Amino acid sequence: MKRSYRGVILLCFVLLLNIICTQQAVNSYFYERYERVVLFAVLNIVLFPIAIWIYFRERDVK
Amino acid sequence: MGEDIKNNKKADINRTKHNNDKIPFEENNYTHNIRKAGERRLDRRGFMKTMVGAAGIFAVSTLPWGALAVKELSGLGSKSHPKQKLANANDLKIGEAIEFAYPGEHDAALLVRLGENEYKAYQNACTHLKCPVFWSKEEGRLVCPCHHGFFDVKTGKPTAGPPQRPLPEVVLSKEQGAIYATGVKRYET
Repeated sequence: MKRSYRGVILLCFVLLLNIICTQQAVNSYFYERYERVVLFAVLNIVLFPIAIWIYFRERDVK
Repeated sequence: MGEDIKNNKKADINRTKHNNDKIPFEENNYTHNIRKAGERRLDRRGFMKTMVGAAGIFAVSTLPWGALAVKELSGLGSKSHPKQKLANANDLKIGEAIEFAYPGEHDAALLVRLGENEYKAYQNACTHLKCPVFWSKEEGRLVCPCHHGFFDVKTGKPTAGPPQRPLPEVVLSKEQGAIYATGVKRYET
Protein backbone atom coordinates (compact mmCIF):
# COMPACT_ATOMS: atom_id res chain seq x y z
CA MET A 1 0.00 0.00 0.00
CA LYS A 2 1.40 3.33 -1.04
CA ARG A 3 0.84 6.13 1.45
CA SER A 4 1.33 9.87 1.31
CA TYR A 5 3.85 10.94 3.95
CA ARG A 6 3.51 14.61 3.14
CA GLY A 7 1.49 15.28 6.31
CA VAL A 8 4.06 13.51 8.47
CA ILE A 9 6.87 15.58 6.98
CA LEU A 10 4.93 18.84 7.27
CA LEU A 11 4.02 18.15 10.90
CA CYS A 12 7.64 17.28 11.69
CA PHE A 13 8.59 20.65 10.23
CA VAL A 14 5.93 22.40 12.33
CA LEU A 15 7.31 20.73 15.43
CA LEU A 16 10.82 21.85 14.50
CA LEU A 17 9.53 25.43 14.22
CA ASN A 18 7.83 24.98 17.60
CA ILE A 19 11.10 23.94 19.21
CA ILE A 20 12.95 26.88 17.64
CA CYS A 21 10.27 29.38 18.74
CA THR A 22 10.24 28.07 22.31
CA GLN A 23 14.01 28.23 22.50
CA GLN A 24 14.11 31.76 21.09
CA ALA A 25 11.35 32.95 23.43
CA VAL A 26 13.07 31.63 26.54
CA ASN A 27 16.47 32.96 25.50
CA SER A 28 15.05 36.39 24.68
CA TYR A 29 13.44 36.46 28.10
CA PHE A 30 16.82 35.81 29.68
CA TYR A 31 18.35 38.68 27.69
CA GLU A 32 15.37 40.90 28.65
CA ARG A 33 14.27 41.44 25.04
CA TYR A 34 10.60 41.21 25.82
CA GLU A 35 9.23 42.19 22.38
CA ARG A 36 10.98 39.16 20.93
CA VAL A 37 9.54 36.96 23.69
CA VAL A 38 6.00 38.06 22.82
CA LEU A 39 6.69 37.60 19.10
CA PHE A 40 7.92 34.02 19.49
CA ALA A 41 5.23 33.10 22.02
CA VAL A 42 2.55 34.27 19.56
CA LEU A 43 4.26 32.39 16.71
CA ASN A 44 4.27 29.25 18.82
CA ILE A 45 0.57 29.59 19.55
CA VAL A 46 -0.21 30.25 15.88
CA LEU A 47 1.67 27.08 14.90
CA PHE A 48 -0.81 24.92 16.82
CA PRO A 49 -3.89 25.67 14.67
CA ILE A 50 -1.65 25.28 11.62
CA ALA A 51 -0.71 21.80 12.86
CA ILE A 52 -4.39 20.92 13.36
CA TRP A 53 -5.19 22.20 9.90
CA ILE A 54 -2.41 20.11 8.34
CA TYR A 55 -3.63 17.07 10.26
CA PHE A 56 -7.23 17.36 9.07
CA ARG A 57 -6.08 18.00 5.53
CA GLU A 58 -3.70 15.06 5.38
CA ARG A 59 -5.61 12.62 7.59
CA ASP A 60 -7.62 10.93 4.87
CA VAL A 61 -5.11 11.23 2.08
CA LYS A 62 -4.27 7.79 0.80
CA MET B 1 1.54 -37.86 51.48
CA GLY B 2 0.57 -40.79 49.20
CA GLU B 3 -2.90 -39.35 48.77
CA ASP B 4 -1.43 -36.00 47.60
CA ILE B 5 0.73 -37.55 44.88
CA LYS B 6 -2.23 -39.50 43.63
CA ASN B 7 -4.36 -36.34 43.46
CA ASN B 8 -1.63 -34.43 41.65
CA LYS B 9 -1.33 -37.14 39.00
CA LYS B 10 -5.08 -36.98 38.53
CA ALA B 11 -4.90 -33.21 38.09
CA ASP B 12 -2.12 -33.63 35.50
CA ILE B 13 -4.26 -35.88 33.42
CA ASN B 14 -7.31 -33.63 33.65
CA ARG B 15 -5.47 -30.44 32.74
CA THR B 16 -5.92 -29.20 29.20
CA LYS B 17 -2.81 -28.60 27.13
CA HIS B 18 -1.19 -25.20 27.44
CA ASN B 19 1.74 -23.58 25.73
CA ASN B 20 3.64 -23.59 28.99
CA ASP B 21 3.50 -27.36 29.22
CA LYS B 22 6.26 -27.50 26.64
CA ILE B 23 9.40 -25.88 28.00
CA PRO B 24 10.70 -24.02 26.09
CA PHE B 25 7.34 -23.38 24.51
CA GLU B 26 7.10 -22.52 20.88
CA GLU B 27 6.59 -18.93 20.01
CA ASN B 28 6.78 -17.33 16.66
CA ASN B 29 6.74 -13.82 18.10
CA TYR B 30 7.39 -12.18 21.46
CA THR B 31 4.12 -10.33 21.81
CA HIS B 32 2.61 -12.35 24.65
CA ASN B 33 3.14 -9.43 27.08
CA ILE B 34 1.24 -6.95 24.94
CA ARG B 35 -2.37 -6.60 25.95
CA LYS B 36 -3.86 -3.81 23.88
CA ALA B 37 -4.87 -4.52 20.32
CA GLY B 38 -2.37 -2.92 17.96
CA GLU B 39 -0.21 -1.77 20.86
CA ARG B 40 3.00 -2.16 18.93
CA ARG B 41 1.76 -0.31 15.90
CA LEU B 42 2.25 3.39 15.38
CA ASP B 43 0.49 4.16 12.16
CA ARG B 44 0.76 7.28 10.06
CA ARG B 45 -2.40 8.84 11.48
CA GLY B 46 -1.44 8.12 15.09
CA PHE B 47 1.96 9.68 14.51
CA MET B 48 0.35 12.79 13.03
CA LYS B 49 -1.97 13.06 16.03
CA THR B 50 1.06 12.86 18.34
CA MET B 51 2.74 15.68 16.44
CA VAL B 52 -0.35 17.89 16.70
CA GLY B 53 -0.50 17.20 20.43
CA ALA B 54 3.15 18.10 20.80
CA ALA B 55 2.55 21.36 18.92
CA GLY B 56 -0.24 22.13 21.39
CA ILE B 57 2.02 21.44 24.34
CA PHE B 58 4.70 23.74 22.91
CA ALA B 59 2.10 26.46 22.35
CA VAL B 60 0.87 26.23 25.94
CA SER B 61 4.40 26.04 27.35
CA THR B 62 5.36 29.44 25.93
CA LEU B 63 2.28 31.14 27.42
CA PRO B 64 3.90 31.87 30.83
CA TRP B 65 6.96 33.41 29.15
CA GLY B 66 4.74 35.54 26.94
CA ALA B 67 2.66 36.62 29.92
CA LEU B 68 5.77 37.58 31.92
CA ALA B 69 7.13 39.52 28.93
CA VAL B 70 3.84 41.40 28.53
CA LYS B 71 3.94 42.17 32.25
CA GLU B 72 7.45 43.59 31.88
CA LEU B 73 6.52 45.59 28.78
CA SER B 74 3.44 47.08 30.39
CA GLY B 75 5.54 48.14 33.38
CA LEU B 76 3.44 46.33 35.95
CA GLY B 77 6.48 44.77 37.57
CA SER B 78 8.54 47.92 38.06
CA LYS B 79 7.85 50.21 40.97
CA SER B 80 7.90 53.91 40.41
CA HIS B 81 9.52 56.22 42.92
CA PRO B 82 9.22 59.99 43.22
CA LYS B 83 11.97 62.10 41.76
CA GLN B 84 14.43 63.39 44.34
CA LYS B 85 17.11 66.04 44.03
CA LEU B 86 20.46 64.75 45.26
CA ALA B 87 23.00 67.50 44.65
CA ASN B 88 23.99 70.32 42.39
CA ALA B 89 26.27 68.94 39.69
CA ASN B 90 29.12 71.26 40.52
CA ASP B 91 29.00 70.81 44.29
CA LEU B 92 30.40 67.32 43.92
CA LYS B 93 34.02 67.13 42.76
CA ILE B 94 35.23 64.40 40.43
CA GLY B 95 36.17 61.35 42.47
CA GLU B 96 34.02 62.40 45.42
CA ALA B 97 30.91 60.74 46.75
CA ILE B 98 27.94 61.72 48.88
CA GLU B 99 25.44 59.66 50.76
CA PHE B 100 21.73 60.07 50.43
CA ALA B 101 18.57 58.10 51.17
CA TYR B 102 16.42 56.89 48.31
CA PRO B 103 13.64 55.93 47.81
CA GLY B 104 12.74 55.57 51.50
CA GLU B 105 14.36 57.47 54.32
CA HIS B 106 16.07 54.28 55.55
CA ASP B 107 17.36 53.17 52.12
CA ALA B 108 20.90 54.48 52.25
CA ALA B 109 22.51 55.15 48.88
CA LEU B 110 25.73 56.49 47.48
CA LEU B 111 26.29 58.96 44.64
CA VAL B 112 29.76 58.92 43.06
CA ARG B 113 31.03 61.38 40.46
CA LEU B 114 33.45 59.49 38.22
CA GLY B 115 34.01 62.00 35.48
CA GLU B 116 32.94 65.35 34.12
CA ASN B 117 29.54 64.00 33.18
CA GLU B 118 29.68 60.57 34.70
CA TYR B 119 27.65 59.93 37.82
CA LYS B 120 26.80 56.60 39.36
CA ALA B 121 24.55 55.88 42.31
CA TYR B 122 23.90 52.64 44.17
CA GLN B 123 21.95 51.62 47.19
CA ASN B 124 24.87 51.02 49.45
CA ALA B 125 23.66 48.19 51.67
CA CYS B 126 26.14 45.43 50.93
CA THR B 127 24.45 42.47 49.24
CA HIS B 128 26.24 40.16 51.65
CA LEU B 129 25.05 41.23 55.11
CA LYS B 130 23.74 44.77 54.59
CA CYS B 131 26.78 46.64 55.94
CA PRO B 132 27.06 50.13 54.47
CA VAL B 133 29.36 50.16 51.47
CA PHE B 134 31.55 53.23 51.00
CA TRP B 135 33.42 54.77 48.11
CA SER B 136 37.19 54.45 48.30
CA LYS B 137 38.72 57.13 46.11
CA GLU B 138 42.24 55.70 46.53
CA GLU B 139 41.24 52.22 45.41
CA GLY B 140 38.69 53.43 42.89
CA ARG B 141 36.06 50.95 43.98
CA LEU B 142 33.24 50.51 46.43
CA VAL B 143 34.33 48.82 49.63
CA CYS B 144 32.39 46.97 52.26
CA PRO B 145 34.50 47.11 55.44
CA CYS B 146 32.72 44.32 57.31
CA HIS B 147 34.08 41.36 55.33
CA HIS B 148 36.21 43.07 52.68
CA GLY B 149 33.69 42.98 49.91
CA PHE B 150 34.48 45.02 46.83
CA PHE B 151 32.20 46.31 44.08
CA ASP B 152 32.96 47.70 40.66
CA VAL B 153 31.84 51.32 40.67
CA LYS B 154 30.88 51.33 36.97
CA THR B 155 28.49 48.39 37.12
CA GLY B 156 27.86 47.71 40.80
CA LYS B 157 28.96 44.10 40.33
CA PRO B 158 30.93 42.44 43.13
CA THR B 159 34.61 41.95 42.29
CA ALA B 160 35.95 40.34 45.45
CA GLY B 161 34.93 39.17 48.89
CA PRO B 162 31.76 37.46 50.05
CA PRO B 163 29.04 39.42 48.17
CA GLN B 164 27.68 37.57 45.15
CA ARG B 165 25.03 39.97 43.84
CA PRO B 166 25.41 43.45 42.37
CA LEU B 167 24.34 46.56 44.26
CA PRO B 168 20.97 47.88 43.06
CA GLU B 169 21.65 50.88 40.86
CA VAL B 170 19.79 54.14 41.37
CA VAL B 171 18.70 55.67 38.05
CA LEU B 172 19.91 59.26 37.72
CA SER B 173 19.01 62.15 35.53
CA LYS B 174 20.73 65.52 35.16
CA GLU B 175 18.54 68.55 34.79
CA GLN B 176 19.56 72.18 34.93
CA GLY B 177 22.82 71.53 36.73
CA ALA B 178 21.36 69.26 39.36
CA ILE B 179 21.39 65.49 39.79
CA TYR B 180 18.07 63.76 40.39
CA ALA B 181 17.30 60.20 41.38
CA THR B 182 14.37 58.90 39.36
CA GLY B 183 14.19 55.21 40.15
CA VAL B 184 15.92 52.08 41.37
CA LYS B 185 16.89 49.20 39.13
CA ARG B 186 15.61 45.81 40.14
CA TYR B 187 17.50 43.95 42.82
CA GLU B 188 18.89 40.84 41.23
CA THR B 189 18.56 37.79 43.42
